[in-house]
Amino acid sequence: MNTLLKTLLLSLTLALSANAADHIIDQKGKTFVPSSITVKVGDTITFKNSDAFAHNAYTDDEANEFDTGMQSSSTNKTVTVKEAGTFSIECAIHPNMLLEVTAE
Amino acid sequence: MIKILLATLLLGVALQANEDASKWLRPAEVPQPKNNKMTPERIELGKLLYFDTRLSANDTISCATCHHPLSGWTDLNPAPKAVGFEGRVGPRNSPVVLNTAYQNRQFWDGRARTLEQQALGPIEADVEMNMPLTTLIPKLNKIKGYQKLFKKAYPKSKGIITKEYLAKAIASFERTVVSTIAPFDKYIMGDSNAMSKKAQAGFELFRGKALCSTCHDGFNFSDGSFHNIGLNDGELKGKELGRYNVKARAAWYGVFKTPTLRDIVKSAPYMHDGSVKSLTEATHICGNGGRFIHNVKNKSTFIMDNELSRSEISKITTFLHALEGPNMKLHIPTKFPQ
Ligand code: HEC
Ligand code: HEC
Ligand SMILES: [Cu+2]
Repeated sequence: MNTLLKTLLLSLTLALSANAADHIIDQKGKTFVPSSITVKVGDTITFKNSDAFAHNAYTDDEANEFDTGMQSSSTNKTVTVKEAGTFSIECAIHPNMLLEVTAE
Repeated sequence: MIKILLATLLLGVALQANEDASKWLRPAEVPQPKNNKMTPERIELGKLLYFDTRLSANDTISCATCHHPLSGWTDLNPAPKAVGFEGRVGPRNSPVVLNTAYQNRQFWDGRARTLEQQALGPIEADVEMNMPLTTLIPKLNKIKGYQKLFKKAYPKSKGIITKEYLAKAIASFERTVVSTIAPFDKYIMGDSNAMSKKAQAGFELFRGKALCSTCHDGFNFSDGSFHNIGLNDGELKGKELGRYNVKARAAWYGVFKTPTLRDIVKSAPYMHDGSVKSLTEATHICGNGGRFIHNVKNKSTFIMDNELSRSEISKITTFLHALEGPNMKLHIPTKFPQ
């Protein structure tokens, strides 16, 4: 691939990702911090894990369904918000953990 | 309020400064849903229903048969697995109804969210009360005394009993079933003599080396989390898959809800399958890596071999005894509405 094409591709990727924001949610003390967020469709949510044990964020919301799987201490997991609406994200291990999402 | 402030101040003395000690204190209020606030009428009605054997198909079994106040809110006749209608044995051990108000998932596998959702399940279950609601509701509506009490408790019902009002009334009573003040509570409020030195050492292990409070956390000694603690080995062939039966999510393979440890001395045998007879055995399993150590699919990483010695296990069980409070004041009904 020639350099020009590479540069073009790179700038395209940058341009696309420039609009989408990444929202950082920490999992700390068995709670999501913060516990509610407003995002735009296409944005990403990155889950940190500051606890010493595993968490597992998921939602059964039909439009935005995802499941991070077991996420061990000090790792990150990122998901993309697909459709507008309000939904809640829970931890599969600790159902007292709740994150309310408003996607616009 | 002042009491709580004072307690929080004193807590600093009892515990090391780095832990948020207030988590062990009783929450100011029992959680209750907006559409079913607790009132004396609802509680009293729920209590009658809870103890009334007419809710079962052959008028022999009530909720109290398996969740009796004189048995630590579990089986009146202790058994590893619940014994219900005509002596039929169910698949699981009866959990305690104590402090269920504080849980946001009910059942060992968490399949119900609220006490209202939970209450109708056992009535219809063939191994429990075996009473179809389509039979029970007309039966209750023929009892004038109950119609009156439902009208008082839920004026909007106009005295017509439905399964929704039935569930609400029972749940209202259950929300009064909360643990009483145990030696541990006095200790945590600042009375350092309320627990023996041995129990205090047990508490240190419980929230330290033995890792128990990773899961048995907070006032109710449960953070409501779900885990596979290695009671069975391997792929669990022919064994219970726990929450995985609710939905086949990888994290739910063979997991069960962390039970409360309040009044735990009163509710042997232990675990979802009633396979553990003593607190010593339970502590050994939870603290030293599970009954099966290796090859357990999806075992919690916090069920690990902490190499607890016999004397350490004994300290922890002594501490667990300090979670026992006096039986709550309760007049068990003997006369029922006619
Ligand atoms: C034959 C025994 C039996 C009878 C009768 C019975 N239960 Fe249960 N109960 C059980 C068993 C066993 C479980 C656990 C079932 C499971 O997890 O799958 C349970 C679970 C519960 C739970 C959930 C507790 C927790 O910590 O998750 C509550 C609350 C409860 N029962 C209340 C009631 C009420 C109210 C009634 C009467 C309407 C009743 N039970 C009748 C045996 C019984
Ligand atoms: C990883 C989370 C976790 C840790 C850590 C843990 N437990 Fe448990 N404990 C559970 C779960 C889940 C159950 C129920 C398991 C089942 O029935 O399959 C349980 C059951 C119990 C029971 C039986 C309760 C009952 O009503 O049947 C006792 C007692 C107990 N644990 C004590 C302890 C002690 C003491 C420690 C520390 C040495 C400890 N646990 C550590 C999750 C945990
Ligand atoms: Cu979690």
